[in-house]
Amino acid sequence: MKHFTKLAAAALALSVLAGGAAADETEALFVPNLAYRTGPFAATGIPLMNGQRDYALMLNARDGGVGGIKLNFEECETGYNTQKGVECYEKTKGTAIVTQPWSTGITLQVLPKTNVDQIPILAPGYGFSPMADGKVFQWAYNMPGSYWDAASMILKYISDGNLDSLKGKTIAYLHLDHPFGKEPLPYLEKMAADHGFKLEPIPVGLKEMQNQSAQWLQIRRLRPDYVIMWGWGAMNAGAITEAVKTKFPMENFVGTWWSGHDADLNIVGDKGKGYKSISFSRPVLDAPIMADLKKYVYDKGDSLSNDEERSGVFYSRGLVISMILSEAIATAQEHFGKKDIGPADLRWGLENLNITDERLAELGMTGMVAPFKTTCGDHTGHSGGWILEWDGTKFVQASDHLMPDSEVIRPMEVEGAKAYAEANAPWPVNETCSAEAG
Amino acid sequence: MFYRTAGQFKTTYRDDQALFPIRQDGVLVGIFLILAWAVLPFVASEFAFQTLLIPILIYSLAALGLNVLTGYAGQLSLGTAAFMGVGAYACYKMLTIMPWLDPVIAILLSGFFSAGIGVAFGIPSLRIKGFYLAIATLAAQFFLVWLFEKWAWLYNYNASGAIQVPNLTSVAAGGNYVAGPLASSLTQYYIVLGIVTLLTILTINLTRGTLGRTWKATRDMDFAAELIGINLMRSKLSAFAVSSYIVGVAGALFVFCWRGAAEPNLFDIPLSFSILFIAIIGGLGSILGNYLGAILIVGLPVVLNTVPPALGIPISSALVEHLNLMIVGGLIIFFLIVEPHGLARLWGLARQKLIVWPFPY
Repeated sequence: MKHFTKLAAAALALSVLAGGAAADETEALFVPNLAYRTGPFAATGIPLMNGQRDYALMLNARDGGVGGIKLNFEECETGYNTQKGVECYEKTKGTAIVTQPWSTGITLQVLPKTNVDQIPILAPGYGFSPMADGKVFQWAYNMPGSYWDAASMILKYISDGNLDSLKGKTIAYLHLDHPFGKEPLPYLEKMAADHGFKLEPIPVGLKEMQNQSAQWLQIRRLRPDYVIMWGWGAMNAGAITEAVKTKFPMENFVGTWWSGHDADLNIVGDKGKGYKSISFSRPVLDAPIMADLKKYVYDKGDSLSNDEERSGVFYSRGLVISMILSEAIATAQEHFGKKDIGPADLRWGLENLNITDERLAELGMTGMVAPFKTTCGDHTGHSGGWILEWDGTKFVQASDHLMPDSEVIRPMEVEGAKAYAEANAPWPVNETCSAEAG
Repeated sequence: MFYRTAGQFKTTYRDDQALFPIRQDGVLVGIFLILAWAVLPFVASEFAFQTLLIPILIYSLAALGLNVLTGYAGQLSLGTAAFMGVGAYACYKMLTIMPWLDPVIAILLSGFFSAGIGVAFGIPSLRIKGFYLAIATLAAQFFLVWLFEKWAWLYNYNASGAIQVPNLTSVAAGGNYVAGPLASSLTQYYIVLGIVTLLTILTINLTRGTLGRTWKATRDMDFAAELIGINLMRSKLSAFAVSSYIVGVAGALFVFCWRGAAEPNLFDIPLSFSILFIAIIGGLGSILGNYLGAILIVGLPVVLNTVPPALGIPISSALVEHLNLMIVGGLIIFFLIVEPHGLARLWGLARQKLIVWPFPY
């Protein structure tokens, strides 16, 4: 009985404490994040989530939020599981002003619902590539770049800007057998047909992520000139160790932006030298923002991260992603002249985002992402990116700023969006803006 | 006191064989039916529909299908999720090829495809039993999921390899949307509830009739069943067919009336296992058990997830997830120790006690 009394007292004390905390949050913008810190993708998820979280905490501590209203940045655990993700979406959609689904599978699932629920989806650098067409996907945003952008930049890089030079070459496309990994296939297939190179898709099942010996045996037999990888979570480390084992020349191995995680390369260290990954963000450790983060978050012990993780590519990408969100909130607040904005207001903000070099300098994030601009018709912004190369201890920039081949991608996006809208008819389309104008 | 059976005399054989020989049982079922049909839909929130009511019903239906096979006919199956997948993909393809088809009809028809596949994979059961049969159904699980991935025709050559449910209206719902993003949860709930009720009534009657008795005889001792003149082939294959039909319909509902989209690995082995857990924890060879099991396995994690925030305990969502796994795992072990025959038996014992309470002698 005594124990129960104690327990009850403890519970009561806790709830009183929490009640006090909840009272502070009445005036706040609810920006949930469907995070995954558990499951097979946790290793790559955690640094991103930490970056996002730290940026939001920093804004709250330094500026009292955005435009004078705090951000209630809360995580809902999905474990990269689509069912859990939908559960989180249902749970948060009542009061949230945005959904950050953090998985292509969850994005595909909630994409049709956002039209009905009228909540913007923010899927920076992932999701369905045709989401770029804002005329059709009024509520979905994948700035600063889509997977087709990433594939295009990788091809541009390996061909030195002239895709015809790939004629007769073989490119193995090692990808996760999941909506995420299949996403760039239409673009790559089209490029292979147009420019005369041979594309060999090699799928890696979710169960085979850690043991890819069969796939790498196939790669050895094919002797491809390049391997392009669309890997995530445990698959990256599996592929990189296997590439080292089979002595595949690392300089011909290029990953997407979710395959450039420092911890995955740390496993092989020097032997991974030359491995490359495209990226729309890069870590700038001496950027003014890092000093602010240290002052307002790390020194207070509020961060869940550590120094090693903070110097990595993914952590800084998390910062960039939260920056995109907070800038969109600020844009919307300014336009509508109120601080307590709703989902529809935020949509306007996301649609009229203009991240210029000057703005990045003001934010103290110069060089962490390339400038970009969204419009009502173009929800991606197409910032372009850089190739980062592993030098044995860290990722360093290995190319100039690259831009995707928008002349080829834009018609594909419009076509893909149209097909999606037809398959999901009746699908409301925003007639007031033209996709081509983007 | 509440369950007094005194005074309820059976004067005809018909009365004696009634579905609910004790009046209170019938009243109880009636209360739950009224609750499900008339009360819950009007008090439930969108969140409750999407994370509790609809999934619990669909999972119970899938477990009911498995229970016919494993609980009544004694054939262990590990391929439930794959048969659900067959139902879902069949429904999707039927609606693509024949867009004029009513989705509710398509869902009910899709079960026949999985029944066919189920019978084909049930053929080994004529030669092998027990664990060996489980391995044969495991083969179905792996083969079918592989097929869903590789056969692009099944998902209409969609670039992402997933199936997307379009907006569909049905006459059964009075011309409202029953599938797709425009469908309201209330309509979907009623469609699911209607189909689940219908199939449950059918299954109850099947298991009480000749077929059910043949299955039970096969389960309890197959060669004795053969000696008394039961055709084992017919008994086992009919169990596979009925079971796969129900599971297939559950799969079609799963995708069309709940998820709205599905990728092949959704139908992978974890789903098979969670349905097997529902059937085992609920109670093999029982109809009621499927519902109790589904409430425990599907509902409990959702409730556990909402308890700490509701109490205002500030713990991170990742920790909640870890705790969740531990608590659900612990509860499964606890229930299996306390009552190895499942929640249905637990209810049975409670009911027995209630009948004699408060005078146990």
